Amino acid sequence: MAGDYRKPIPVPAPESEPFWAAARAHRLEIQKCTSCGRFRFPPAAHCPECLSADHAWVEVSGRGRVFSFVTYQRLYNKGWEGEIPYVVALIELEEGPRLLSNLTGVAPGDVTCDMLVRVVFDDVTPEVTLPKFAPA
Amino acid sequence: MTAPEPNPALRDKYAIAGTGTSRLGKVPDISSLGLMEEAAANALNDAGLTAKDIDGLLVRGPDDSYTFHQLVGERLGINAGFSTTTANGGASQILSVILAVMAIDAGLASVVLCGFARDAWSRTHRTEQARIAGATRSAAMEAHEFGPEYGLFGAPAMHAFGARRHMHEFGTTREQFGAISLAFREHAQRNPAAQMFGRPLTLEDYLAARMIVEPFGLLDCSLRSDGGGAVIVTSTERARDMKQRPVLIKGFGTHNNLRGWFDGDNMIRTAAGPSGRRAYAMAGLGPEDIDCAQIYDCFTYMVLTQLEDYGFCKKGEGGEFVASGALRMGGRLPTNTAGGQLSETHNEGMLQIVEGARQLQGVYGGDRQVAGAETCLVSGHGGNTVCHSSLILGRA
Repeated sequence: MAGDYRKPIPVPAPESEPFWAAARAHRLEIQKCTSCGRFRFPPAAHCPECLSADHAWVEVSGRGRVFSFVTYQRLYNKGWEGEIPYVVALIELEEGPRLLSNLTGVAPGDVTCDMLVRVVFDDVTPEVTLPKFAPA
Repeated sequence: MTAPEPNPALRDKYAIAGTGTSRLGKVPDISSLGLMEEAAANALNDAGLTAKDIDGLLVRGPDDSYTFHQLVGERLGINAGFSTTTANGGASQILSVILAVMAIDAGLASVVLCGFARDAWSRTHRTEQARIAGATRSAAMEAHEFGPEYGLFGAPAMHAFGARRHMHEFGTTREQFGAISLAFREHAQRNPAAQMFGRPLTLEDYLAARMIVEPFGLLDCSLRSDGGGAVIVTSTERARDMKQRPVLIKGFGTHNNLRGWFDGDNMIRTAAGPSGRRAYAMAGLGPEDIDCAQIYDCFTYMVLTQLEDYGFCKKGEGGEFVASGALRMGGRLPTNTAGGQLSETHNEGMLQIVEGARQLQGVYGGDRQVAGAETCLVSGHGGNTVCHSSLILGRA
């Protein structure tokens, strides 16, 4: 692990390992049920729609919109020292699933709900890449 | 499959027979368990009972406590036909009352003590390390991916997502959130036990307070408090022979958006909707019949959306409703009349059951009393507003 990266590193559940492996390769992959075709996130063993365990990890468009967002004005974790304010956004992908992320390339004060975004990849350590989003 | 219907035969069959609270606010010389004992003893005394009369114990403590009911039962000397610790966060306390009714109806208990206690202020102030961490739950209980790596921490942010989306869809403003904060603070000025007693608030104060996680500032967030609360639940018939005027349990309901706060429209149309409809159906009442309310107020926005979800105004019109003064004493729906969790004490909703019951007993009088109140709606939600429970109380 890189020496000076001070933010929490994701600790994947077994079901979500493929998500992080794809991110390392700069691909945004989401679990898709191969029985009924439904995308699902967060990762799970069975499809909540049809209960099938059959699934594939499918690269998605990486396009989406900001469903909602919050702006941190208080420091909760030392990893963000010197980075206040920062935004955490709930991204709704074109394919449907929603995931939390950060926005890059836009000032916190310029973020709006429903703004269109696209995925970018942040290699925070040699082992860990975080999918983040930038204005489309 | 037909949807189940709440059973109207339960309406008015059970009652709250006593209420009790511990010392509230900053009480460093006592643990969560001690606070629970204090509140339980006061509730038992209020009802004219002893611990020997209790055969059901439904209590909840801090998130990181294990089998809290066993620890409480040991201290109070209670063996119970029915007992557990509820784990639905702020929905747990009304859920305890609901479970008490169900247990009594099933013949598993007859007089049930429901309670909550937590040393949330003291545990985050006893040491410098704890003060910085400010955590009321252990790190092991937090998410390990899809959140913390992006800087998502704490309850304010989770609820702020909903507030932001509501502002976007309906034009709701921070001034309208402020009206909620101000109304409850004003009520706290009538309640000497409230943490914010003697500290009135203006809209200017509200807007000038430091921001925490936008759109929430400090005064959108509930308090960190030590405290305990308890109520005694039994049959209305039995309660009539006890010391206090019983408070009728007219209806209750629950709903759990287990697909999550981030799913669908859950953050702007909460589980209060279906939970409330079930409670209204059991009680045979609608929002127009409710005289006062105790609405779970972990954050200002949550009050606003619940008022809409409970049908006191249309979806999207909560901002106007709260800004009209509806929540103040003398308004359409006096709400959180003791100050709520924003200004009395954060007790995961337990004190709001206590306050609803006492208003309907008419114990206060003067400007602390909701004049002529016959009904009170009490709400609770927890687990970041996934779980919801509703309780409609009535004057006997």
